[in-house]
Amino acid sequence: MDKKMCWILIFVTIAVNVVMVQWTVESYLGREFNQVVIYSGISVVSAFIAFFVFLNWRKLEYAEENQQ
Amino acid sequence: MTNECKKGRNLKNSKSDMVNLTKNVDQKDDLKYNRRSFLKTAAGASIALGLSTVPFSVRAMMGMAEEENERLEIGRLDQLGEGESMTFNYPTDNDPAILVHTVNGDLVAYNSACTHLMCPVFYKKEEDILLCPCHKGYFDVNNGQPVEGPPQRELPLIEIEVENGIVYATGRKYRHG
Ligand code: FES
Repeated sequence: MDKKMCWILIFVTIAVNVVMVQWTVESYLGREFNQVVIYSGISVVSAFIAFFVFLNWRKLEYAEENQQ
Repeated sequence: MTNECKKGRNLKNSKSDMVNLTKNVDQKDDLKYNRRSFLKTAAGASIALGLSTVPFSVRAMMGMAEEENERLEIGRLDQLGEGESMTFNYPTDNDPAILVHTVNGDLVAYNSACTHLMCPVFYKKEEDILLCPCHKGYFDVNNGQPVEGPPQRELPLIEIEVENGIVYATGRKYRHG
């Protein structure tokens, strides 16, 4: 996974999370508790993806600098 | 990658050009607002957004456990002629509701707090519609969906049952139709 891919993935997870927050709140207010759990599950998974992708990006980014 | 280098990558002993251009008047800003910190903020925002949904699902799981609809007597059917309506409270005393015997002979019940700003809605039999007088919100009496005015969401539907001429409320649906 190169750095560009990391950037793309992180921004994709932001998009996913924004939508999921919206949907979670919506279905929470509508008392559709099953859906709340599903949406928030997706959201947490995507947060984890963002985290690990970020770690990966950091490794690549600073490895380059240390080689110079 | 040695440990020392890792720590120093943003500090003054870094080998990075950006850090060492000391004549740069905007050096502080350059160190603070750059491509790297942008991505860090973005990743942080994504993680924060993702985790912010967790409290909702915790509350939802608690809600699922305690969701139990008791059966409540509303009133006698023969006292409610066609085109008439009556109020009651369901599921708690703080949830006003309205039972409508429509002009077509159907029996429907909704929580009567308008989904706009909670004014109580009432049944207007001339037009066979539920009306909220506060800001002229109209709801379809057959399914509780908003048809006109400011309300955007449907009225919560109360499921009813008729047994031996007595009307009972048996449950509530927030999203329906
Ligand atoms: S409160 Fe019902 S329309 Fe505003």
